[in-house]
Amino acid sequence: MRPFVYERAATSEVATQAIRAGIATDTAPRQGRYPAEFLAGGTNLLDLMKLDVMQPAKLIDITGLTQAHSAILVSPQALRLGALAKMSAVADHPEIIKNFPVVAQSLTLAASAQLRNMASIGGNVLQRTRCSYFRDTSWSACNKRNPGSGCAALDGYNRGHAVLGASKDCIATYPGDFAQALMALDAVVTVLGPDGTRTVPFSDLHRAPGSTPNVETTLRPGDVITAFVIPAATWMRRSLYMKIRDRQSYQFALASAAVALDIDDGGLVRQARIALGGVATVPWRARDAEAALVGKKLDPQTAESAARLAFGGAAPREHNAFKIALGQKTVTRALVQAATLEV
Amino acid sequence: MTVAAPTPKANMGQPVPRYDGLAKVTGSALYAADFPHLDLAYAYLVSSGIAKGRVKSLDVREVRTLPGVLDILSHENMSDAVAHAKFFSDGGPVSNSVVPLSSPEIAYAGQTIAVVLANSYEAARDAAQRIVVDYDIDPASATFGSKGAIDQVLAEQSKKHEDPKVGDFASAYAAAPVKIDAAYSTPTQHHNPLELFATVCSWDGPNLTVYEPSQNVYGIKNGLAQQLGMDASRVRVISPFIGGAFGSKGALTQRTAIVAVAAKRLGRPVKLVATRRQAFTIATYRAETRHIIKLAATPDGKLQALSHEGFEVTSRPDPYAVAGTDASTRMYACPNIVSNVTIVRADRSTPGFMRAPAETPYFFALESAMDELAIALNMDPIELRRVNDTMKEPIKGLPYTSRSLMACFDEAATAFGWSKRNPRPGSMRDGDWLVGWGCATAAYPTQMAPASARVSLFPDGTARVETASHEIGTGIYTVAAQTAAEQLGLPFEKITVALGDTILPPAPVSGGSITTASVCSVIAQACAAIRGKLSNEAVGADLVEALNKRGLGAIEEYAEWVPHGAKAGAMQALYKGAAQPIGGAKLEDRMQFAFGAQFVEVRVHSQTREVRVPRMVSAFAAGRIMNTRTARSQLMGGMIWGIGSALHEQTDIDTNAARYVNTDLAEYLIPVNADVVDIEVIMVPEEDKLVNPLGIKGIGEIGIVGANAAVANAVYHATGQRIRDLPLRIDGLMPSA
Amino acid sequence: MPEHLDGDDKPSVSRRRFLGATASTAALPFMGASAARAVADPAVKPDPGALLNVSLTINGKDHRLGLDVRTTLLDALRDHVGLTGSKKGCDHGQCGACTVHVDGQRTLSCLTLAASAHGRVIETIEGLASTDGKLHPMQQAFIDNDAFQCGYCTPGQIMSAVGCVKEGHADNDDAIREYMSGNLCRCAAYPNIVAAINQAKTQMEG
Repeated sequence: MRPFVYERAATSEVATQAIRAGIATDTAPRQGRYPAEFLAGGTNLLDLMKLDVMQPAKLIDITGLTQAHSAILVSPQALRLGALAKMSAVADHPEIIKNFPVVAQSLTLAASAQLRNMASIGGNVLQRTRCSYFRDTSWSACNKRNPGSGCAALDGYNRGHAVLGASKDCIATYPGDFAQALMALDAVVTVLGPDGTRTVPFSDLHRAPGSTPNVETTLRPGDVITAFVIPAATWMRRSLYMKIRDRQSYQFALASAAVALDIDDGGLVRQARIALGGVATVPWRARDAEAALVGKKLDPQTAESAARLAFGGAAPREHNAFKIALGQKTVTRALVQAATLEV
Repeated sequence: MTVAAPTPKANMGQPVPRYDGLAKVTGSALYAADFPHLDLAYAYLVSSGIAKGRVKSLDVREVRTLPGVLDILSHENMSDAVAHAKFFSDGGPVSNSVVPLSSPEIAYAGQTIAVVLANSYEAARDAAQRIVVDYDIDPASATFGSKGAIDQVLAEQSKKHEDPKVGDFASAYAAAPVKIDAAYSTPTQHHNPLELFATVCSWDGPNLTVYEPSQNVYGIKNGLAQQLGMDASRVRVISPFIGGAFGSKGALTQRTAIVAVAAKRLGRPVKLVATRRQAFTIATYRAETRHIIKLAATPDGKLQALSHEGFEVTSRPDPYAVAGTDASTRMYACPNIVSNVTIVRADRSTPGFMRAPAETPYFFALESAMDELAIALNMDPIELRRVNDTMKEPIKGLPYTSRSLMACFDEAATAFGWSKRNPRPGSMRDGDWLVGWGCATAAYPTQMAPASARVSLFPDGTARVETASHEIGTGIYTVAAQTAAEQLGLPFEKITVALGDTILPPAPVSGGSITTASVCSVIAQACAAIRGKLSNEAVGADLVEALNKRGLGAIEEYAEWVPHGAKAGAMQALYKGAAQPIGGAKLEDRMQFAFGAQFVEVRVHSQTREVRVPRMVSAFAAGRIMNTRTARSQLMGGMIWGIGSALHEQTDIDTNAARYVNTDLAEYLIPVNADVVDIEVIMVPEEDKLVNPLGIKGIGEIGIVGANAAVANAVYHATGQRIRDLPLRIDGLMPSA
Repeated sequence: MPEHLDGDDKPSVSRRRFLGATASTAALPFMGASAARAVADPAVKPDPGALLNVSLTINGKDHRLGLDVRTTLLDALRDHVGLTGSKKGCDHGQCGACTVHVDGQRTLSCLTLAASAHGRVIETIEGLASTDGKLHPMQQAFIDNDAFQCGYCTPGQIMSAVGCVKEGHADNDDAIREYMSGNLCRCAAYPNIVAAINQAKTQMEG
């Protein structure tokens, strides 16, 4: 871990100014990231700093803003989550458990109780890949860590890697769970940047690796996520998060699916929302699969054919081909289970 | 009595709560990295990012200028600082005969290539991460089938190994009506004790004190003295509590000498706490294995022929092998047996002991094959074991000192409800979950080693036990105190125990499930000597009274105990830290084994194929059980290791680079609390007066031995899919898309 | 604003200039109204030799420490305060052996900067028993149920278990198992840990 300047921000405006100033003092990005970073829960940032993967010259501790930016507000129109809310606070919120089950479940099934007590939901959606070749700097080839150096995972051990959204430069999996719930529920991100506040659809937040896997989001230097807004919708209560892993708990997903369904009285699907985790380089919305379900009765067969569509463009490597079948089964299982929910 | 403290049955001791319980629940138990030191400097290792080649240059210019950095050790300034010592299989002290920093050569990935010394941990880590290494890279062989890996017949490489064989396998196999021929594999695994590999070295003039978690403090003392060219009497090793070991802390690793040299050079104590990632390469591991098993039987299940071929990966310099055919060929009556073991040399660090080193992989193969044979015979798998049960091993016809295998099967089967099993695969289901039940035999050699101890009795009715054994979680503090209490007739509370320090009388390596049998035997002998001196009959208050009558301030007895079958010179080897466990299948006149039967229920999701183990029942017969509480815990721990080993644990190898990739506890999966639901441990009473005077067999390892196969057999029963390669993960169970 | 951001109770930097003022006086790595000016100072570069003054309230006692800014709460406890009960098993938030309570929440001290813990209330295994030595019900339950073997993960397990009960996540065995899955035990005392929590929770609630 490199030395850094440690500062505490009292307001969000100060924080963004501070980070911009930090960037101005040191214009060379390191490891593809900005030289100054916000510190909230720290569970991913300090982990990566200890590994020397991230080397910020400055940390702006924004935990002092927690009170101002951690509110959980439920209204008839929307669920608004302050970005500094802890994962555990959102996961345990009774109204979220009842009305937005996929949100609560995606958080409860992530990480451990301690990590959920520490990590902010804003930081959570920005957590970086678990790719070993990225996390260990002694591997020389990692385009995400060191642009232009290559990708050791392509022909390396890639059981955990992505089959969707990969490029010839990066196949690292997006590791989170909560992002899939936000993706499925059409969440909007509130961002405070140097030029003020703006909103971004959550589906526009992450960038597929393409030829620049070091650039993971559309956030700009100095931007800080302040909230997520999930619009109330007819499908939010019939939703769930299905996470498949080797271990019963405390493991990143091999495959996961956030699904939400609006089913009419006749049992036909009016609307479907499907987002995939564990199998893609970014939180992955399966729109073709969603469209295929509309107007159909959701039974195992329709679910399975939709699930196949979700993996239409999948590109396996040596050790991760099983994720295509697993991902399809996960989606199928999630959809069938969601259809039977009492709402 | 709670579940955790089972009521003792015949030949079992009381479930006394742990002697060290208070220290452990209050955080006051001191592990190696916990001792306070004045003026401490910190070491941080720089590890090789390549598996084979050499260091062309180390750029340390930037690093030397960093505040707090004191020195950087590398081959440039350490080349002759540490003397070569022999690999432990060759009678030496070290777990890996490559001496890091002795040259620029790199023999395996993760090899230590430099060490930063600094005033703080933060500065040392930063500096180590900034060192720029330039390598000459040679192609490296990772594992089985890698280009450049060399196969060697173990029997030709090691004088200690002889392939068990008897009769005429080929003819019997050809003639038999029912046959199985199958190949199995097990993966690389790492012990991953929760405690990191820490070493603190502190010099006081010519005297060196080492704080290190160890399963063999006398091994470190003597081995380190040899490496540093000093008198062993000047080395003291302190290790009162060890945060898990499982074999990884048995032999001397190369880090200790480096830290000692660093402390000498700085004139300050130096602390190394190697990272979790480094733990995968600075100590040992369970190497990957392959097996080919051939079984043949008569239609009524009597084995006619058995062949077990084993293949094991090892390093270039050290011929490490577990050679589990010693046990796997001797479990069942069979007239025609053949076996062999091949070692495969690759560019890896040297493997080493890990919980039931030989039995875990070799019994996975054997007991999976037995299940396959039972299915081929259309026979209940328990009955197949029963018809082939024997009180004489088949190779030389030596008798077992005791063998309660079928008693274990019967008790465990009853508790498990085996009679309700529908043997047809896929026939049991709970909603979307396929349910399967499987079982397997467990066995572990009963071994012991020479041990010494001092027991003192005082006029106030207290007694003290001193022996340099090791508390790795087994409960040796507790059973040592129980033994003295029992033998002297004193309350448990009146006994104090000192362990884990080379100023104490030597005890052997705490590995091979030998500790309780060896250490309690010598404690009992010392207690008997005290009784003999004071009054042969008296115990308890009468014994203390006899002491007081004579006006003695204390009576102190030093004892040495040597197990049956020990070779000449075994006791002297103990004082050199090189006592060899003896027993199992290695005796000339008899077989000493503990046995068990393991039953598992698995659930496999019908669609997504994840495997869960909601229930496990195992019964073990292992001679005298000293303490039903600590024994149950240890057996349970072994069983849960079996779940992890069967379902999760695998160190993933990038075969192009010959490097591990999942080197942390997020990606190397050991069981978590939620993976473990209903575990029932049955201790079957067994008396064996031959193994040692107290009749103790040892229980640290047997719990894992049959578990892998029991899980695989249950998965077959659930799904009809026979998985012969561990771990049994979704990948192998998922029909391809 | 939370209380700990006010007044003198802030981490401060010594031995060097920082943000345009002398370290030992008013210059703090904390930004209030003047922050914009302060952070615009182009001289801001990390100084690896600087020590940060951090105040930690640990087990009811105040500690003022001069720490390398990179020091984690775990290393501060172990190497600077002398409380070695909290253990380092991975240093990356993957094992739970370092679990302590920060402001009453179970927290991984290895992924917490000591500087971030400045002014917060920290409780470790050493502070769990009463001052008269009477064990916390969870500690006694761990002994009674043999909920450990080597003991290395135990302080973290116990702190986590206390948190699990206080959070209301110990209603049944399944919940306990799930909410204790962040604490690895390689000796695999898990069933005994669940039994210990069941024993202790009634006493804690009582």
